[in-house]
Amino acid sequence: MRLASTKTKNEIGFDFVTQNISIKTPYGKKHLKEMAAFSPGEEEKLSYELEKLSMLLSILNESPQKMDVLEEILMEIKEVSFTVNRSINNVLSVVELFELKNFLLQLDRINGLIQEFSSAMPKELIPVETLSLLDSLDPRKDRINAFYIYDDFSEILGSLRKKKHNLEIEIRQEKKQIRQEIENEFCISMTPKFELLISKSNSELLAKAKNIERLAIDCEDYMTVTYGIKSTDVLDVLTKRTEEVNYHIEEEELKVRAKLSKKVAQHQRDLVKNCLIIGELDFVLAKARYAKFYNCCRPEITNAHVLEITEGRQLMAEKILSDKGKAFCPVSIKLTDGVTCITGANMGGKTISLKMVGLVSLLAQYGFFVPCREAKVGLSSSVHILIGDTQSMQRGLSSFGSEMEALKDILDQSHEKALILIDEIASGTNPVEGLALTKSVISYLSAKQYITLVTTHFDNAAMGKSVQNLQVKGLSSANMAKLGKELLHASRRERIDIISKYMDYRLYAVGGGQEIPKDALNIAKMLGIYDEIIDEAKNLLIGGNEG
Amino acid sequence: MGLLSQLKQQFQTLSIVGMAKNAGKTTALNYLIEEAEDEGLRLGITSTGRDGELIDLVTGTDKPKIFIEMDTLVSIPVKLYELADAGLEILRMTEYATPLGQILLCRAAESGYVQIAGPLNVRDHKKLCQEMISLGADMVLIDGAVDRKSVAAPGISDGVIIATGAVISRSLKKVVEETLHVVNLYSLPVISDPEAKKIILENQGRDQIMLIDKAYKVQFLDLKTGLNASRFLDEVIDETASFVYIPGALTQSVVADIHPFKFKSIQFIVKDPTKIFIETNPWQQLVKRGFQVRVLDAIIVAAITVNPYAPSGYSFEHEALLSAMRSAIQEIPVIDVKFGGDFDAACQYKNKK
Repeated sequence: MRLASTKTKNEIGFDFVTQNISIKTPYGKKHLKEMAAFSPGEEEKLSYELEKLSMLLSILNESPQKMDVLEEILMEIKEVSFTVNRSINNVLSVVELFELKNFLLQLDRINGLIQEFSSAMPKELIPVETLSLLDSLDPRKDRINAFYIYDDFSEILGSLRKKKHNLEIEIRQEKKQIRQEIENEFCISMTPKFELLISKSNSELLAKAKNIERLAIDCEDYMTVTYGIKSTDVLDVLTKRTEEVNYHIEEEELKVRAKLSKKVAQHQRDLVKNCLIIGELDFVLAKARYAKFYNCCRPEITNAHVLEITEGRQLMAEKILSDKGKAFCPVSIKLTDGVTCITGANMGGKTISLKMVGLVSLLAQYGFFVPCREAKVGLSSSVHILIGDTQSMQRGLSSFGSEMEALKDILDQSHEKALILIDEIASGTNPVEGLALTKSVISYLSAKQYITLVTTHFDNAAMGKSVQNLQVKGLSSANMAKLGKELLHASRRERIDIISKYMDYRLYAVGGGQEIPKDALNIAKMLGIYDEIIDEAKNLLIGGNEG
Repeated sequence: MGLLSQLKQQFQTLSIVGMAKNAGKTTALNYLIEEAEDEGLRLGITSTGRDGELIDLVTGTDKPKIFIEMDTLVSIPVKLYELADAGLEILRMTEYATPLGQILLCRAAESGYVQIAGPLNVRDHKKLCQEMISLGADMVLIDGAVDRKSVAAPGISDGVIIATGAVISRSLKKVVEETLHVVNLYSLPVISDPEAKKIILENQGRDQIMLIDKAYKVQFLDLKTGLNASRFLDEVIDETASFVYIPGALTQSVVADIHPFKFKSIQFIVKDPTKIFIETNPWQQLVKRGFQVRVLDAIIVAAITVNPYAPSGYSFEHEALLSAMRSAIQEIPVIDVKFGGDFDAACQYKNKK
């Protein structure tokens, strides 16, 4: 069973990572496409996968230049597995042999580089030695990435080609001889191509040429007649011999190609294996680069179903913020089986924190490092996120309708050790029923062996022993006077930025039953909603409390 | 000294541009290849279209194959590689794709006939030429595709060889006239006003007609090209205007409605001469009225080759065409490729004049 749906991967920001890792080879792309998550029970395998990543990361840190060279080689690598498989039953073409030789040279260079690395390379990522095949394709051991059916490939090819060359010279000399004789005898001059071009208006020369037995008309147009040298017995013999030699050369070249193709076929298994190794090397290296660039750490994999994240970041949100020159506020959270509720101010980053949890868990289970300072991850059997999306509206469903559809799917598909992330459930219906539904869903889920994380605005939605309540710090510790001053002269766009600057996104645990700080009206006011509306709302709240 | 050795001192890459199909472009190329062999020059040869097919695919005429000597560098797509008669050592598989497969960069290990093709766009072409030079080519020849003059555009090569011939017209006078027109266009002067040039280069990316007045104030016109914008142009060109930059093609319709009286005081600027699409006669009339065009980049015509044969059957006396062309265009060497070189004669003729 797959770990997460396409929609979940997309919403959580996992796709953002896979689309941004820099894969260089067609094999690496294939590896990425076929990448599978590690399921509960495969903790050791996953740890080993992460160990490989660690090893590459330390090489990356120790010999960055050599790694650059390795990546340059990878960038040049082309898909040859089709050619390799074709070699079994077919004779490869010169272009195919050229590509294979290139691939072998690249493997040789990669193996050479690996030897130079100061730290050890995971043995699974070292290409299998194919030097003997490279020697077959590069008999002179020039190790230059050029290819041709060189004379060295065969005992007789060189002599055949020489023979052909000599015959051509002989023909030329014979023709030169004839031309000389004709020119001397008839006082005419022919071109270096042994042609005599005569304008049709030159009847004198035409008549003369007609009588030269050793010339024959090659071609004729309206204005000019072109004479060439008529073949002689000697020329005939030479031409025939050239044709024969040509035939032998072609035969011999085919033989060479067949011989080389057979050699390739003998190494088919190693070559196919190397394609896979290159793919994995490329993929793990891309993960290492990504881990270094995004400052990720190696997650500790445990058998227990827990998620302990210290200073986790949601990479997509971080990217958006850093593009604006702002920093992401890391969030720490500890989750175990049962329900955890995040409540707190509007604009408090609850949804981003929810997605961050999902991202860390998905990345870890796919063998990536995670964007945290530290992380302890127990493997989940499946990861789901329930979050409002716009696509359902296009399908003509109300937001509540599509939410309930999605909730049913999630409940149906979840088994032991599931990770369920729910964002603002039932916010699209009346608050009385909405609260009731939220409470009942939470109570249903808290009895299961799932890790459930819920964000909500409802007070006291989560009660009970197995429920953990977390709150966003929000604006509670902000200097409201200073904030108000800054907002006074801010433009519409700046307001949001200023509020987020004062917002503390971190989470802290609160006891059940505590009231959620009411920041909505404050924020609405900061964003410029008219005082008369805000005041009226405040009055209603007081009235409501009194009534 | 032969033509190529002479040209080599001035040009590293040369495009061969045909005035029309069957103007003798491939013949010219073969002629130059032979010369390179005689003079010990190592050539790189590439093409902007598929070339070197035996029979011309469009008109069904005989097309000479391209015979390359040992060590010549050529670009050839994968599908044509197998068809080559020459022994080609593959040096590199480039990333340039064509309908006939990726382009291979090869060295002739054995001489023979080949069909040549190259990348399809200017930027790739330039990169390929540089690569050939770095691999040891003394000079790179670019065979232009079927009567497309676009390979002449500066930026592709250092200079052009114009292949012209009987195919242009049955009238020898017309052949000379048309060729002269192209040579004249190609030799249009580069804009000499440095300030105006700077302004145009800075704003070129906007792709708008620019009107620059005497005080170098720029006005951008909201017309993408000058096509059919003539009346509008006439209205905005007043006595203060001194330059009009046309971003796209300069055609007759661009200038048709502009009052000829205004021609004397303004200069029309185009990117390069290949952007001008005005026929010989109207061009001459415009110039008579004082029409002035300047270019941002000039094209250098390195040589002209003539072919006295037209595929439809008629031909000229080769001496007649050659000498008519030579007396019309004196500052550029003219060669008859069919009857063999005699560049010295071309030079002598030039010297005599």
